Amino acid sequence: MDRRNFLKVAGTTGMLIAVSPSTIGTKLYANDGRLYTAYERVQLIDADGNPIKASALKKETNYVFNYPYRSTPALLLNLEDATQKNVTLKSEDGQEYIWKGGAGAEGKIVAYSAICSHQLAHPTPDDSFLQYVQKDKKTMSYETSGVIVCSSHLSAFDAKKGAARLSGPAAEPLASIVLEVAADDTIWAVGVLGPDKFHDYFTAFKPEFKMYYDGKRAAKKLVKISAPTVTLNEYTKEIIQY
Amino acid sequence: MKMNRRDAMKLGATSVLVAAATTVSGCAGSEAKPEAKTCKSAKRNVLGKRQVVVIGGGFGGLTVASELKKENKDIDVLVIEKNETFMSCPGSNTYLGKLNGMTLDKFMFDYAKPVEKYGYSMLHAEVIDIDREAKEVHTALGIIEYETLVLSPGIAYDYETQFPTWDKNKIEHVSRVAPGALIAGGEHLALDRLLADMDDGNVIITIPAGKFRCPPAPFERACMIASYMKKEDIRGKVIMLNPTDNIAKGAAFKEAWGELYGDMIEHIDFATIKDVDTNAKTVTYMYKEAQPVEDKEMDEPVFKMVEKKISYAVLNLIPNNKANPVITMADVEVTSDNFHKVVMNGCSFQTKTDANVFAVGDVVAHAIPPSGQTANWAGKQCAKEIAAQLSGKRYILPVEKTTVAAGNVCYSMVGDKPEEGILVTHDFSWNGTIITGKGNVPKDAATGKFRSTGTAKALRDWYRGITSDLFS
Repeated sequence: MDRRNFLKVAGTTGMLIAVSPSTIGTKLYANDGRLYTAYERVQLIDADGNPIKASALKKETNYVFNYPYRSTPALLLNLEDATQKNVTLKSEDGQEYIWKGGAGAEGKIVAYSAICSHQLAHPTPDDSFLQYVQKDKKTMSYETSGVIVCSSHLSAFDAKKGAARLSGPAAEPLASIVLEVAADDTIWAVGVLGPDKFHDYFTAFKPEFKMYYDGKRAAKKLVKISAPTVTLNEYTKEIIQY
Repeated sequence: MKMNRRDAMKLGATSVLVAAATTVSGCAGSEAKPEAKTCKSAKRNVLGKRQVVVIGGGFGGLTVASELKKENKDIDVLVIEKNETFMSCPGSNTYLGKLNGMTLDKFMFDYAKPVEKYGYSMLHAEVIDIDREAKEVHTALGIIEYETLVLSPGIAYDYETQFPTWDKNKIEHVSRVAPGALIAGGEHLALDRLLADMDDGNVIITIPAGKFRCPPAPFERACMIASYMKKEDIRGKVIMLNPTDNIAKGAAFKEAWGELYGDMIEHIDFATIKDVDTNAKTVTYMYKEAQPVEDKEMDEPVFKMVEKKISYAVLNLIPNNKANPVITMADVEVTSDNFHKVVMNGCSFQTKTDANVFAVGDVVAHAIPPSGQTANWAGKQCAKEIAAQLSGKRYILPVEKTTVAAGNVCYSMVGDKPEEGILVTHDFSWNGTIITGKGNVPKDAATGKFRSTGTAKALRDWYRGITSDLFS
């Protein structure tokens, strides 16, 4: 199930054109510029190379995998609460798109590009400013927790609603990573929905790419076949969260 | 080299060029001479009319300009800014502290990139007068007419009120040899040079009285200069003279001063600078000294003002702040304090005086902290108000209805090797009269201390992000 957890809608006119899941092919993904881009279909695996099983994901735990590029981190979450279905989201330049809801048997598995839509803060091997804040913890950036928070400039995003902006200086949602959960419980990333920040990211962090990824060219290579997925604690040395 | 009227209007403009050449009267023959002096009031040198004119290309003004273009790319926006390069005040204490990698190039930015990216235009000229009735801004290069005006000129120093006995020469002399370095640019370079040249001795920082830009700045600076002195094996103290006992993020700074620097940092409450002798390198100040109380029954301690003198090797005299003179030129209603903040039209960044004149940044009379992040927030709100007004609508600020969580976040670096930082957030809300900010200085849950290495990293990332918001 959950082959398609999104729908495409058209531009700024406000008219929603829902594309039937059965008609969406790779070709259409690729033609759909900014709102949805199909990347390599990649399986999420653990540090030992074994497939990650959707039913084995711990609740409310930040998992990180790099997708769609080797240097672009994404957050994978198995939420406690149900996600909202068919959320209409808007990019800063006014384009609308629909986020269809979480993946998996319970529909609670979500993945988002972990590059802040405000000014690109993201988890690195050394530190992380952007992550999901568990419901029993507190955040300064929003009245409730159970949200994704960027602690650099204190923006909050709704993990249950396609990473819609809740508060702070961010002007648009985090981009969503479109997931598929296969019949054998394996998890696959297939594309990116919403306003991604990859272009700005590749411009802004050249010294970092040298440090972590053997330079800018290697950093821009697409992830293929499989993406190692670890908890945020394993991914980064220091989690900074307000 | 010389800029003519057309070039001035062309700078970075990707959209509308407003009849720059045709509205000129009387000055056509004067192009070979310096512009400003050739055009007396009788010969009006009108450069053109622009829909929105923003005075000041800092955190507030640039945000208004880019956000207006984001709201509607057809809005014609001109920023008037006297400097051709930008230097950031936020973060600049880490430059004085010589923290790893915090070199001058991290604080300097050119305007070319944002002008090209967002499509507003920019005129580098000094504003010399504002005629609200005629809707004109007079600059050293000529007159710009406007429909909507945004005032984001920042601060100026108020040596005159603070030191009534000083003449113009003394003020200029002191500002050179004891720079305030609260307005980014040459003053920072001068203070940095004084620190580089100093031998053993004390660095004195005087805190302004009244409201001033970036309230934690002097206290962060004390930490950064002390860490620099340690690194350079300079023996001496950093001594702050504070006319009150108010310290922004006080508990957090006191923790850092005590635990990281011990006796090296000294903060003197109720110490008001009175005079400076730049030859003897001494500062005299009035100190509110507690007197021994004979009658033990008395509840109130007895204070007496005593004059004290202290020598320095480097003096960072941060003068009292006031609104930039552009505010006086605009002749809008201001607060009665010495700062003269612009009175706003309710829950808005529109001035109370003039529906076509807005203000953001240091000069705004809302009770929100004058920081880079606040200016950025205010700039975005202000742009939405202007865009709505230009299309005959009204934008209600969300803060009027609901509290804006962490509308301001402000970091201060307190340590080096390892770098440690502290922070304050302010939740913004509307109290029926002004927008207010409620501060919260958090402690690190793991260590129980205000300062942490994580917060230092967040400071660096915050700085990278906020400057990219303006310049890339």
